Amino acid sequence: MGEKTNRWWNYFGYAAKLLVVFIFVFPFLWMFSVSLQNNDEITAIPITLIPSIPQWGNYVEAFTSGPFLQYLGNSVIIIVSIIVIQMAVMIPAAYGFAKYEFKGKNFLFGLVMLAFMTPVQLTFLPIYNMMSKAGLMDTLLPQILPSMTNAFGIFLLRQYFMQIPDELIESAKLDHAGSLKIILKLMLPMSKPALTSIILFSFVGHWNDYFWPLVMTASEKVRPLTIGVSMLKNTEGASSWNLIMAGNMILVLPILIVYCFCSKYIVSSFTYSGIK
Amino acid sequence: MATIKFEQVSKSFGDNTIIKNVDLTIQDGSFTVLVGPSGCGKTTLLRMIAGIGPQSSGRILIDGKDVTEMPPGQRGVAMVFQNYAIYPTMSVAENIEFGLKNNKVPKEERQSIVQEVAKKVGLEQLLHRQPSTLSGGQRQRVALARAMSKNPKVFLMDEPLSNLDAKLRTAMRVELIELHKKLKTTFVYVTHDQVEAMSMADTIILMNEGKIMQEASPEEIYRNPENLFTARFIGSPAMNTVEIAGEGTIGFRPEAVMLEKAGQPDMFAIKGRVSTREMLGKEILYSVKDSRENTYMVSMPSEEDKGCRVNDEVYLNVPAERLYFFDREGYRIGPRQNWLSDFLCRG
Amino acid sequence: MKDGKKWIPYLLVAPAMAGIALFVIYPMVNLVYMSFFKVNQMNPDKNKFVLFDNYTKMFRTSAFQKAMVNTGYYALFSVVIILALALLLSVWLAGRRTKFHSFVQGCAFLPHVISMVSIGLIFQQMMDPDFGIFNAILNALGLPALSWLRSSDTAVGSIVFVNVWKSVGYYTLILIAAIQSIPESIYEAAALDNAGKLKVFFKITLPMISPQIFFVLIVLSIGSFKIFDLISIMTAGGPNNASTSLVYYIYANVFQDFDVGRAAAAGVVLLGLVGVMTVLYFVGLAKKVHYQ
Repeated sequence: MGEKTNRWWNYFGYAAKLLVVFIFVFPFLWMFSVSLQNNDEITAIPITLIPSIPQWGNYVEAFTSGPFLQYLGNSVIIIVSIIVIQMAVMIPAAYGFAKYEFKGKNFLFGLVMLAFMTPVQLTFLPIYNMMSKAGLMDTLLPQILPSMTNAFGIFLLRQYFMQIPDELIESAKLDHAGSLKIILKLMLPMSKPALTSIILFSFVGHWNDYFWPLVMTASEKVRPLTIGVSMLKNTEGASSWNLIMAGNMILVLPILIVYCFCSKYIVSSFTYSGIK
Repeated sequence: MATIKFEQVSKSFGDNTIIKNVDLTIQDGSFTVLVGPSGCGKTTLLRMIAGIGPQSSGRILIDGKDVTEMPPGQRGVAMVFQNYAIYPTMSVAENIEFGLKNNKVPKEERQSIVQEVAKKVGLEQLLHRQPSTLSGGQRQRVALARAMSKNPKVFLMDEPLSNLDAKLRTAMRVELIELHKKLKTTFVYVTHDQVEAMSMADTIILMNEGKIMQEASPEEIYRNPENLFTARFIGSPAMNTVEIAGEGTIGFRPEAVMLEKAGQPDMFAIKGRVSTREMLGKEILYSVKDSRENTYMVSMPSEEDKGCRVNDEVYLNVPAERLYFFDREGYRIGPRQNWLSDFLCRG
Repeated sequence: MKDGKKWIPYLLVAPAMAGIALFVIYPMVNLVYMSFFKVNQMNPDKNKFVLFDNYTKMFRTSAFQKAMVNTGYYALFSVVIILALALLLSVWLAGRRTKFHSFVQGCAFLPHVISMVSIGLIFQQMMDPDFGIFNAILNALGLPALSWLRSSDTAVGSIVFVNVWKSVGYYTLILIAAIQSIPESIYEAAALDNAGKLKVFFKITLPMISPQIFFVLIVLSIGSFKIFDLISIMTAGGPNNASTSLVYYIYANVFQDFDVGRAAAAGVVLLGLVGVMTVLYFVGLAKKVHYQ
């Protein structure tokens, strides 16, 4: 291949890559544009690409059209509780599976893998019945408790723990460190990348979750942001796309900001879950 | 059969120049070993011959033909990689066959070549195995057989023995020497191990920082190092050196030293104290420290040992004809009597 | 590790196992159990054992048949298109590791971390037959406008389209990681063996990433079998049930038709589908060749 054709190929490849970027980023830019359009612009033909005067008021209107502060608060409470509970459950379990030999270990770990592979679409109905019977449907618990065991987290953290040599733990024991101290002072600091991945993974997953809160919430009081935003469509009617997109921005922005700062961590945690 | 010629070849990665204006001829049918410390550019040189890391400037000729624009697969060269680079998803036979298939060799001929090379390296029983089931030594043989199957004009080997254990390595060394004798093609072999270089090569090319320090036979490079770097790199233990302030360096090999209780008249002598003594069987290795804490290595045949012990006060006596002289730039020069005045023992 | 107290490991894993027993094992057993009953949500004492009645009746309804056929379509098209595109993109993007390349990959991955709710809403707006940008683009290109989600002919295809857009970046990244883990020297050996570009792809790259391709195939299939969010947000199964799926059918039976027994029976069908794929996955994992 000659120098010239090579160079043209390079330009072509560069342009094609920019096109890929455009394809995946454009819908988000479009959402932003629509969120700032006025009521005439959203139904104008030809369509409006950039709003003439940005209607920042759309955001206020969208936010006050429902108890969005409540939705946002619910989302935050649910996610923080889930992550705290998951950590408390996952860390000892991963330590037990990584560093102890005991009867039935393989069977129990098999159950963890089973839990990892089981989709929530299979379990929601009995859990829904369970929660209604327990009279918990008016609380946030049906959205928190069922996520207490993070099977993927146990799996990933166990891998990390297994790489920490037994000699290190033995020598800590010789220094009179108890199990709790060993976990807190030795295992966890050495597993920071795994913990960061697990927390980000959990955060992204639960912030975005739609199916579970949809089936586990009956009243406004307990709804998270995803459900709140999806209901904008029903309450406002099909023509208020500007308000819907403004609400949508509130849902997307936190993830977008986190993604911009820790895209490396997020990408690696997601791809890791895919490779292993 | 091929002579390889480098003409003013340079290679840089970004601002980093790895090879600087190398001129070099590798003789047809030779077993040439490129040796040098890591990062000296020896592998880069090898990869340029293969065409998998082309030069930035200059020409490379194989058999008088400029191969700069020629893709690796058409240069008539074969390479054994350090990690063997065996195709993990193909069986042993498929690994050997792959290059032949790509070169459109007919099926019957392919099969007979596979059988033939497998026999030469002792792989007949393993042809249907998957690489993941093979030991390190067996993989090495697959890599070798794959290279041989193409009947190349040049064999390139990039530290092919470094992943084997010590015993297997010694055995493979002998096998490679014999293989070269049988095939009579050009072998270019890269290693960082000077012992390996000395034992296998008929020509050694010693490199440092992208430059060729010396190109010679093992005997010549050991006996007549052209510079201080070569003198220090070739030989084990390495040559002892004494700096003469403002003038240059005197060097002498550990095996040239006579370790004695007293200084010999008219010999170069250094007084010191034995700090360690290692009995290695046929030879004994001493390290001796002088009053300025410089350490010298001495190697004595066991039968000539005078029985010095740790902490004994001793003299390192070296005959004048076994001294090497280097100028301030490290180039070899003739004997300099005036440098010796401080070291001559007059009885 | 040896330890005097044998109960310690059990104590360590107990909370996790309790969670799994309560929220995974029990519900699955209970789901199968419920599928044999005519369930009365108001008064559980009036639950009636009907054996396979839920199943036989369900199989005969057109809504279920439609849901199954659609789920097949969703799975088939999503898997084939996403896998093909991800393979193409990954081979194209894996070669160089520049900043620009990781930026391109980061952008392709972005939709994967955004909520289905957001994406569903954005695309529903863009697919609006009158005021959406998609038809505006088709129009500008001189092509006929489509009804997208509003027509039973194009609803399934539109949802597949969004699903592909959302997921392809994720699977591309998985395959890129796989390709980049192939040692460079293998490719150099192939170059010395005079192998052409196509041959390198089919004889080296493809076989060497086949474990990951297999994984992607399974995960994509399972993911497609449970497709729900986009349907619920963009079409609510419509128009006229044209875009419904198995999970949407389950959901509608619980929350619209209040027929929990039938929902459970449909759930068992999903369990079967996911179960087969999971078993395939672990069999494949056990057989997976460990290279080097």
